[in-house]
This record gives sequence, C-alpha cells and structure tokens, in this order.
Amino acid sequence: MSRWLAVVGALWKYGVAQALAYRVSLIIWIASTSFPLISLVLWRALAETGPIGGWQQADFDSYFVATFLVRQLTSVWVVWDLDRQIRSGELSVLLLRPVSPILHHAMANLATQPLRLLLAAPLGILVLVSVGQTMAVAEDPRVWPLVPVALALSWLLAFTVQLSVACLAFWLTKAATLYEIYLGAFIVLSGYAVPTSLFPPGLAEVARVLPFHAVLGFPVELVIGRLPLAEAVEGLGLQLAWLTGFGLLAAWLWRRGLRVYGAVGA
Amino acid sequence: MALDSLQEEVSALALPSCDDRRSFARSGKVPSVAEPPAIRLDRLGKRFRVSKREGGLMPALRALVRREWVEVDAVCELSFEIPRGQRVGFLGPNGAGKTTTLKLLAGLLHPTSGHAEVLGHQPARRAHPFLRSIALVMGQKRQLAWDLPALDTFELLRVAFDVARPIYQQRLAELVELLDLAEVIRKPVRTLSLGERMKCEVVAALLHGPQVLFLDEPTIGMDVSMQLAMREFVREYNQRTGATIVLTSHYMEDVAALCERIIVIDGGRLRFDGSIEALVRRIRPLRRVSVRADGLPDAAGLAALGNAIVVEPPQLVLDVEPERVSEAVALLIGLPGSRDLAVADAPLEEVMRELFARPSERDQELGP
Repeated sequence: MSRWLAVVGALWKYGVAQALAYRVSLIIWIASTSFPLISLVLWRALAETGPIGGWQQADFDSYFVATFLVRQLTSVWVVWDLDRQIRSGELSVLLLRPVSPILHHAMANLATQPLRLLLAAPLGILVLVSVGQTMAVAEDPRVWPLVPVALALSWLLAFTVQLSVACLAFWLTKAATLYEIYLGAFIVLSGYAVPTSLFPPGLAEVARVLPFHAVLGFPVELVIGRLPLAEAVEGLGLQLAWLTGFGLLAAWLWRRGLRVYGAVGA
Repeated sequence: MALDSLQEEVSALALPSCDDRRSFARSGKVPSVAEPPAIRLDRLGKRFRVSKREGGLMPALRALVRREWVEVDAVCELSFEIPRGQRVGFLGPNGAGKTTTLKLLAGLLHPTSGHAEVLGHQPARRAHPFLRSIALVMGQKRQLAWDLPALDTFELLRVAFDVARPIYQQRLAELVELLDLAEVIRKPVRTLSLGERMKCEVVAALLHGPQVLFLDEPTIGMDVSMQLAMREFVREYNQRTGATIVLTSHYMEDVAALCERIIVIDGGRLRFDGSIEALVRRIRPLRRVSVRADGLPDAAGLAALGNAIVVEPPQLVLDVEPERVSEAVALLIGLPGSRDLAVADAPLEEVMRELFARPSERDQELGP
C-alpha cells in the first residue's frame, strides 16, 4: 500500500510539473471550455423579463458558473492521449513500467486540477461579481459531504467513459473521433448548455438518468442546492451504477486490447 | 569459451511454413548448464493481420465496403536460448522480425504460438517482478517527458521501479559520469541533441538495474564517436553487472564489437545462431590476404594460391583457403619489397549481404 501511495505521489508530482510546463495550453483549454459563461449571458438576458420554467436570473448565474467550475474539475483528456499512444506505439513505454498505464494517465489528468481551479475560479468569481450575484450553495448541511463524493464520481465516470472509447484504438483507426459523438450528446444532454430541468417533459426524465447528466448536471445541481437529500442520494446511486458499467467495459476492452496491441513503431 | 563453441553449431533451417510444425528441428545444441537460461524461446510465433489495398481512389473507396486482409508471420517458430550474462547480436534485414521478437520478449506483444520465457517469467503476463528485471531501449522511442528535465523522469522511474534512494543515487552518479551527462540531465529534454537524448534514455532504462537489457537500434542517428562511447558503455555494463544483453543494430560494427554470439533471422525464421567467426567461415570460408610488393607473382602463381581479387601493382588482394593461408603468407612475405601484409575475414556487412541473398534452402546444405 505504501508503495502504491509512493507511486501515486510521484505520478502526481510528475503531472504537476508537466501541467506547469504547459500552463499556456492549460489557459487556452480553460478558455475553450468557458461556454457555460456565454450561456449565462444568454439565459440571464432571456430571464430579464421574468422567470423561465421557474428559473430566475440569479439561478442561471449560479448554475452556469457552477457548470463552468465543475466542468473544469471533471476535465479529462485521456481519450486523445491514449488513442494516439496506441496508434503510434508510444504506449509501449508505459507498458514496460511496473505501474499501470491507466494509473499514469489518471494521475496526469488529475494533477492539472489544482492549477486549473486556480486559473478558473477567479474567472467564475469575476463573472458573478460583474452580474452582481453571489453563488447559491446547498443549504441542507446533510448534502455538503455528498458534494466531494459526487465530484469524485463525476471525474471517475468521465475518465472511464473516455478510457473505454480510447481502448477501441486497439482495433480502430482514430477511435478518439468516436468520442466526438459522445461529446455532441454530452453538450446537449448533460446540462452543459441548458439545465436539464428546462427540457420538455419526458426528455428531461430520460436525460437525467443518462451518464451525461451524471457527469455534469447532477453535481452542478447538487452544489447549488437544487436537489433535496433523497434526490442527491439517488443521483449518487446513478453515478455509481454508470461508473460500474463503464468501469467493467473499460477493463474488458483494456485486457482484450493488450492482446491485440501491435506496438507499432516502438 | 566452451559455451560458445557449442553454440557455434549452426542451427540454420528453412521452414516451409509456420503451420508445418513437424518440420522444425533445431540442430544447434544448447549448453547444458545448471543455471537456467536468461531467455528461452520455444517455437515462438507472432502472426499479424494487416489490411491491404492497391493505391488510388477507387481501391480506397472499395476498401470502405470490403477490406482485404492478409496474415503475416512476423516471427515463425523461433527457438533459441540465451544464457545469463551473454551479449547477443540479433541481426536480420528490414522486416526480418527482430523488433517483433524483442517486443515479444519484453512483454509488449502476445505470441500467437509457442512460448517465451525471460528470467523464468512469461513476458506477456507483464508481472511486476519481470518488468523490474528487464529494460528495452528503443532508439526511435522516448520515455523522457519532452518539456521536463530528464531528472524528473528519472525520479519518477525510481519510485515506479521501487529503487531505494541510496542505490538510485549511486547508480545515477555512475551512469552520469560514464556517459558524461552532468549538465545535460537538468535541461529540458527538448533542448538536448539526439545523442544526449539517447544517452539519457539509456540512463532511464538502466536506473532499476535490469538483468536483461534489450537494445533496439541504440545507436541510430548517433555520430561515430557517440556510437563508440555507447558500445563501450554497454560492454562495461555487461561486464560489471553480468546482465544479459540482446542487441539489434543496422551498424555491423556495433554487433562485431560487442557481441560474442549472433542470431540471424530472416522472414521471422532462424537463419543462423553462433559466433561471428563461425558465420564468416560458413558464408565466406576463404580468408582475405592483402599485400603490397614491388614484384607480384605471375597469373599462374596467383591462381595456385587462391582467387585474385585485386591485382594492381603494388597492391595484391587474394581470397585464400584457410588451410593454405600460411603457405600464401610465406610466399607473399618473400616477395621483393613486401609490406603491409594482412590476413582478415570478409567484412561482416558482406557476409550478411551474401547470407540474405542466398535462398534459405542452401543454408540447409550448409548446415553442420
């Protein structure tokens, strides 16, 4: 266990060093995922004359700033890195180490989070200040301990989905392109562009049980206090269920994939 | 060395097909030693399924609907053993299966057939004790983070391979001194020259003290002095640690200088297993004798000695039967103004070229 922790610590430090080396790229990436802040401007303009589906301007402000920050905290990019490594044979370098390449990628992705939050949080605060709002947070203290759990599960689910798609690169050329399909659905169904509770009846219920919402919409609504305890627990259960499903799928694809890995060029 | 003499028995056989398993019979003798070999291959095979199509737009469109696949045997019923501590050159033309075999032995590829064992481990299982005891240096692949100093990757590897800090520091100090890298390891890798990067890659591969070291084209892209330094370093590492070294290189000088044994494969099949001397004797049994003299023998005199390769007074080059070398030397040294007399084997490049130019069947005739 202590060796595992030492490895995790070393990978973390390595990832932070890389994140610092690529700080400009990180800023650009944060900027490219600031779409919720644009949505905020649009929706608060629409809500100027009155609430939309029960959502006031202040609700939209909190929702989209929280969406922006949760998106930063749950950002992963393993699908692009691993897809490239499998195709080019660069994965071989990681396979020769007595450390799982998946752990290596997980830590590389996680290690950027502090820097990412350090850069993104002031932007979120600046937006709130500029619209004269404060962030709404869950009022029920029993919900608070669930927030870090939901965020952790959200990150793990996002990572596992990407890992599953990336593993298809063992068989397909440019598997990461498939992830674009997921991403398209994610933008619509996760609550990234529109809160799912504003969806038409029927579609809203469906969207709220899909993995897209489990990754983003659910933790956002939990943070800003739109979910009572019972719904929060139910949401955590859904996150766990999706995580188990995608975790098993990723593990199966990884094991099968290594058997057909061609280690091309390496 | 006794082991070498045993291994110099050539195990060169042409296999009609990977599926024709009965045809496999290795004539090479494996030394019977108490210590198990570091590496053992038993009819190891790797078959790849690759798509193929003609060039052009129409074939590309057709391939969208119906793709053609061919199966390629990159490695075919390969069997040999390598004792611990031996330096072995793994040779073959492009596409012979050298790198595929190394990848199989390093656990990167799963074999399609047969069995491989490295230090008692099945490589494809990639058990951690196995990974801690091997290293694969790939001349064209890097494990150092591009934008960080090599030292950062070394520290990560120290923890990943569970190397105690005092041992790590000692090894790093030794390697840095041997490869003259004191300043280099603190600079971002992207700012290093190719040679410096390659040396840092070697350090990264050796920090955990591997007992088996696979070197795939380790000197590719290096200048001559750097190649020499790398060769010396590999030899010293082998002598100091007793590690088993398996080397592939397009530079025959690397192989000739370093390896006590060579294994030649072609088309994924074993063509030769033995010492360089044995290969040269087999493919080019004649010795090359050269001399400069003020007066050369006449044509009949030369023909009696051997095959004249160059007769351009004062230079004379002859290929002579091994048993007649002393007679030829005695005659040539007695020529008026005789100087620069030399007896040598044919260059390894020439021998290899000739070996690969021969159909495999002929090797069978050449077998012991």
